[in-house]
Amino acid sequence: MSNLAQARLHEERKNWRKDHPFGFYAKPVKAADGTMNIMLWEVGIPGKAGTIWEGGVYKVMMTFPDEFPTKPPKCKFDPPLFHPNVYPSGTICLSILDEEKNWKPSITIKQIVLGVQDLLDNPNIGDPAQIDAYQMYKNDKNAYEKRVKQQAVERRQK
Amino acid sequence: MSSDGDNDDFLYEDEYDDGFDQDDIDSTSEPDVYDAMSPAIEEAPQKKPYDVSWKVKTLQEIIDMQNKEIMKVQSLLEVPASSAAILLRHYVWNSEKLQEQFWNDPAQALEEAGLSPPSSPTTHTSTQPTGLFECPICCMEYDYSSTYSMGCEHRFCKDCWMEYLTGKIKGEGESAKIQCMESGCKRIVREEVIDDLVTHDISKRYHNLLNAAFVADSPTLRWCPHPNCEYIIECSQAPTRMLNQLVPTVECKCGHDLCFGCGYSASHRPVLCRIVKLWEKKCADDSETANWLQANTKECSKCQSTIEKNGGCNHMTCKKCKWEFCWVCMGPWSEHGTSWYQCNRYDEKSGIDARDTQAKSRASLERYLHYFNRWANHEHSAKLDAEFYQKTEKKMEQMQNSGNLSWIEVQFAKQAVDAVIKARITLKWSYCMAFYLKRNNMTELFEDNQRDLERAVENLGYLLEQNISDTDSIAKLRQDITNQAAYVQKRHDILMDDTLRGYLERRWEFTVDT
Repeated sequence: MSNLAQARLHEERKNWRKDHPFGFYAKPVKAADGTMNIMLWEVGIPGKAGTIWEGGVYKVMMTFPDEFPTKPPKCKFDPPLFHPNVYPSGTICLSILDEEKNWKPSITIKQIVLGVQDLLDNPNIGDPAQIDAYQMYKNDKNAYEKRVKQQAVERRQK
Repeated sequence: MSSDGDNDDFLYEDEYDDGFDQDDIDSTSEPDVYDAMSPAIEEAPQKKPYDVSWKVKTLQEIIDMQNKEIMKVQSLLEVPASSAAILLRHYVWNSEKLQEQFWNDPAQALEEAGLSPPSSPTTHTSTQPTGLFECPICCMEYDYSSTYSMGCEHRFCKDCWMEYLTGKIKGEGESAKIQCMESGCKRIVREEVIDDLVTHDISKRYHNLLNAAFVADSPTLRWCPHPNCEYIIECSQAPTRMLNQLVPTVECKCGHDLCFGCGYSASHRPVLCRIVKLWEKKCADDSETANWLQANTKECSKCQSTIEKNGGCNHMTCKKCKWEFCWVCMGPWSEHGTSWYQCNRYDEKSGIDARDTQAKSRASLERYLHYFNRWANHEHSAKLDAEFYQKTEKKMEQMQNSGNLSWIEVQFAKQAVDAVIKARITLKWSYCMAFYLKRNNMTELFEDNQRDLERAVENLGYLLEQNISDTDSIAKLRQDITNQAAYVQKRHDILMDDTLRGYLERRWEFTVDT
């Protein structure tokens, strides 16, 4: 495990605790014995108010590679999400999370989670990742919205 | 036609000349201006109208070419060399377009290429603050001297820069388009900055990538595709739009042929690049499955779906169109009445019709296989070249020993083998050509030439296989082989010349678009 990645992630954690956007949470995962794994974070992303995603808090697991921040973290909805740009495995398809596209080492966890929140209500139709949500979004908006709202209820934070 | 150094100066003038038209192919028609460089002109009479001129360049020459362009732009636009390079790469080395855009709106042109506007300093010349700086990437504190920021003022520590640039260059093979590390910042990192921030090895790799990109972006340059060859071919006479009438086969200094038009790593004359591509695709898709299909399947007599019978009776129902027919006679099942399980309707009219359509589809497959098998046969013989040479070598030794012939005197055998191999490559491609030609009189002439060459090559091949028994027969054999080799060469030249000229004269009609 590279020291650079760890140092940066510790700092990210410090900054997050100091200040983070409302309704979000982000924390490294603790193992059963209480040790903290700084390379794996559990993140909660709330749906924006006034959108069909409102009410739900969508859990994302962020896995940071040893080469972080040269390489982006892998972000996966857990459980997988009904959304045109989320692969059936839950992996998120977003340009700022793609090393060959817009990932830059200076992007912070805060920027990533805000980016993912924004993606929820602004799917990128040019880049579909799952068939179900993509086709429903294109062919039957009403059914799509109903399904998303249903999902928001299911993912309400207890 | 020559690739040697004598005519370098002459060709150099043509280098950036895109406005090439067909008349220019013949260098004798060049304007008088070039008369001073006579060596090239003297070679011109040998050049055929379908041949192209080319030059083999070293990597250093390619670097010089770029530097020359960069210097030109640098002095014209009054920008630093590295900015000129970034601008040129952004405009794909089209300096006219670059100048047009630049003079139209300098700030925008610079911005689009990923450079700062001229007003602000391009590197951090502003006074550096004192104290420590916390790198936003690794979150460690550094003295300002170990940090770096470009004109965009996004500052990071040099370690992070190195990590990032190394990853981009080594991991992703990027070169001309490496941006600032700040999210959303489109500023391109300059050459000298990269050289300064990364290790020597990575910087070397970076420059190799830049050169590769330059060659890839230039329509008049192409890397030699042969393994371990580092030469670059320059040819301005074979732009893409000419490839429907030219087959620009060139020879690299490494001794191998290649096609400048499509990068095929051997001569594919006399066939056009586009046809070669179609043929290769067809062969990759079809040849293996086609044989199996022919042996094991039939087509539905109504919708032509391919059907494999894997059991059951002869009463077939097509899964796709639900058509019911008899597997044996291919006629409709309705006419079979109650005589199930035995087909006694062999000559019914509808059965004949059904078999006709099927026969047609089979015939097209057979036609393809006819040409493919001949093509593949020559391809296979070409692979045995080395062995053929070795066998001939042995025979030549034997002749020297038993026939009292000198080394010089037995060279005829090697020359004959050379002729056979060359002719086989041409013959191979001639079958690809014939497959795509429309049936007409011209095609018949083509096939006559093809047949003559095929026959000549076969005869010569037979003679070369002959055993040497005694001194008398050697003299006779030598005479025969020499004659036959000359004949093969002649037939080869005729086929090649006639076919390539045919493109220029628009004599060939193809079954596909060229």
